[in-house]
This record gives sequence, C-alpha cells and structure tokens, in this order.
Amino acid sequence: MGKDFKEALEGLESGPAASDAGAEAPRGPEADPSSHPSVAALREAFGDAIVHHEVMAGDEHVVFVRPERCKEILRWLHDTPEHRYDLLLDVTAVDFGGGRPLQLVYQLWSVPHKRGLRVKAELPLDALEAESVVDVWPGANWLEREAYDMFGIVFRGHPDLRRILMPENYAEGYPLRKDFPLRGRFSRAEQTRRALMLDMESDYAPHELAVARRVAEREAMASNTQTGGA
Amino acid sequence: MGVEARKELPVLGHEKDGSPGFLLGKLDELVNWARYGSLWPLPFGTACCAIEFMAVASSDRDLARFGMERQAWSPRQADVLICAGRVTYKMAPVLRRVWDQMPQPKWAISMGACASSGGVFDVYSMVQGIDTIIPVDVYVPGCPPRPEGLMYAILLLQEKIKGESLRNAALRHEDPAKVGRPNLPPEVIEQVALPFGNSTSQNRVSGLVSTGALARPEDRVS
Repeated sequence: MGKDFKEALEGLESGPAASDAGAEAPRGPEADPSSHPSVAALREAFGDAIVHHEVMAGDEHVVFVRPERCKEILRWLHDTPEHRYDLLLDVTAVDFGGGRPLQLVYQLWSVPHKRGLRVKAELPLDALEAESVVDVWPGANWLEREAYDMFGIVFRGHPDLRRILMPENYAEGYPLRKDFPLRGRFSRAEQTRRALMLDMESDYAPHELAVARRVAEREAMASNTQTGGA
Repeated sequence: MGVEARKELPVLGHEKDGSPGFLLGKLDELVNWARYGSLWPLPFGTACCAIEFMAVASSDRDLARFGMERQAWSPRQADVLICAGRVTYKMAPVLRRVWDQMPQPKWAISMGACASSGGVFDVYSMVQGIDTIIPVDVYVPGCPPRPEGLMYAILLLQEKIKGESLRNAALRHEDPAKVGRPNLPPEVIEQVALPFGNSTSQNRVSGLVSTGALARPEDRVS
C-alpha cells in the first residue's frame, strides 16, 4: 500500500488537469478484478454494464457502471447476501469541467463483511438524470437532495426532490458545477433582495407543514366549540 | 476614542437632616443611564465568534457587571442584538425578522470579520456584512475577536447610548415600510461588497461558460 499511496501523492502534486484536456474524465489503470470479491461477482453478473474498475490511494476500489443500469446494480449489491452493502455512506458527484461528463458517486460500506466499494456512473452534461435509490437505502433521501441542489442531477422517483442547502427561491443555478462563478450569478444587491423575499416556511418539509396545519385546525375547532357552547 | 469612567448622577437636593432626598438632572441622562445600565443582549451566534461570546458571558469576564445580567433568548425582551458569526443568505431573512421583532430602543453589534464584511467568505452564499440587512451600531474586528474586544464594543455602545436624546425623534423611529427589507439601497450594497475578498479575479462577466437552462424550469422563481 505504501508505494501506491506515494504515487497518489505525486499525482496530487502535479495538479489537476487543465480544463481543455479533452473530453475524457481522468481514469486510473484497469485493476485486477480478483482483488475485490464484489467486483469479480459484479463482472460475472452484469458483464459489460461494468465499464471500468480501478484502485485509488492503495485500497479504494472504484467501479464505473453504465448509468442506465446503475440502480439495478446498486440494488443487487444491497440485496445479495454475499455482498450486503447495507450502509450508503454518501451520494455525491464530481464535475471535471471542460464539457466532460459528470461523475455520480455512491460510497458503499458493508457492515457484515467489513468491505467498502465506490460505484461511479458517468452522466453526460445534457442528461443529468439518475434513478433514485431512496427505496433501497432510505438515507439516500437528503444525500440525493444535496446532489440535486449542488449539481442539478435529477433523481427520478425521489419522494421530495427540493433544494436542501440553498434557499428554496434560489435561481442562480448549481453552485458546485465547475462553470459556476464563485460569487454567484446575480449582483450582491439582487442576492440580498431575493434572500429577504424568502418565505421561511418553504424550508419545512410538506409533512412538517401538515403537522402545523393540523394543530391550527384543532385549535380553530376548539375555539368554535367554546363559542358555540357559550 | 476611549471609554471614560462613569460619572455619578448629580445629587443636588437634601432633606433638612442632611440625607439625600431628591436629585436634579436632565431627563436624557436619567433615561440613558437606565438604558445603558441594563442592556439585555440577544446572542445571534452562528459560528466560532459565538464561542468567544460565551467566554464573555461566563464567569471569567462576567458580562453581568455591565448590566447584561440576563441574556434575552427572545427578541421581544432584547435591547442589543450581538451577531456573532457568518450569516448566509439563507439565514438573512431570519436575522432581519429577529431584528424586526425587537422593540425600540434597540441596538446591534456586529461581532467579527464575517458578520461585519463577509470576511474570507466572498462567495455565492454569504451576506457581505450584516449592515446590508440590519443597521449596525458597533463593529468588532477580529477573526474571532478576543473577549476583551467584545467587551470594549459593549462599553463603546454604552458611550454611544449616553449621547442619545429623547428629543431626537428620528433616532428611535422605525419605518414600517422597511420591515423585512434590506437596510441599504442596492447601489450601496454593490459598493460595499465588490472591492473586498480574496476572489477579486473572479467576476460574473469574464471567462464564464454558460450552463444553459436549469434542469427543472419550475426552479426559477422570477
């Protein structure tokens, strides 16, 4: 592991690739599939839906999959007893800029087998869509909302796909995209004006607002009963 | 600019037996004495500056000896809002609503670089100084300021209160039309926001690739 880690550090020193480096996202050399039991099984079960397999920083196994079969593969990794990736650590994305495809990243961990796996799907910039995995891991709910908020990836089938970090009325785009200007797109005056226009109740989830509505209705009913009785 | 020792209120009249019976003074001085001697702070702590505020409030520095015996956790009972920490645009309407809920007389202290100017966070999500949102009386520099810095600001605010007059009606007047609105006109917000920060090479015009339409048209609120 020591040698690989040193190579990874040297890679960091050379800096990121220039934005016009080409239409290909950076990839490491193809790794030996037998070095990770789940990768060998994935190759067998899904064939050419597994695009690429590489090892990063010593022991981080990364599997690139076709985006259209991504959810199927993730569900298989979650459900198959020999693999049982029952913990979804993170859903995020990487934008390499330069018109290159955006990488959607799932970081998985198997508690019973004490194994980790990173699954990546490359989404072309004109089709930033993926199947939601909330029905597989309920914890994906807010993670997918964050990926949508920061990168603009639309997760089909998500129960409540709204912005989570930025205000509801934010209209400047997706801040973690490479082409997003650091200070935002609007002027500071416009940003301030819009911020103060925000309806703070929009930050609550629909079911929280439903609770508030029920309480208000109950109070209204109670006061009606009182006035009716008097 | 410094903080003077407090002057006692003048006692001019005595009862026949020599005991103090009544006092004469200006109404302004009496009112200001009552106000600066019982400032109840509302801590609006959003970041690391709030930790330094806690140090001021705890027994070592003892905020209570300046009349801040009790911290007002409700804006309805607060006199001075101490904004300690960075404020995001998402938090801006909350800060403005808390300020609008505070009854007059009220003052504001902007504690630390982020609250005063945005600090190093010259980015898309951060308010560039809370004076664009609410009027500020005293700014405390520092990242974060030492507890002594905040105490000095509180003493300066007390000095400022001593100079106020009841006859100046504009001082404590609030325009209802400004409730929930920015504190500064747009062109001033632009002026105070642009020259600062570590990202002056970044702007909204040059070198940008257009992303095109948003993924969901309903995200855009006109």
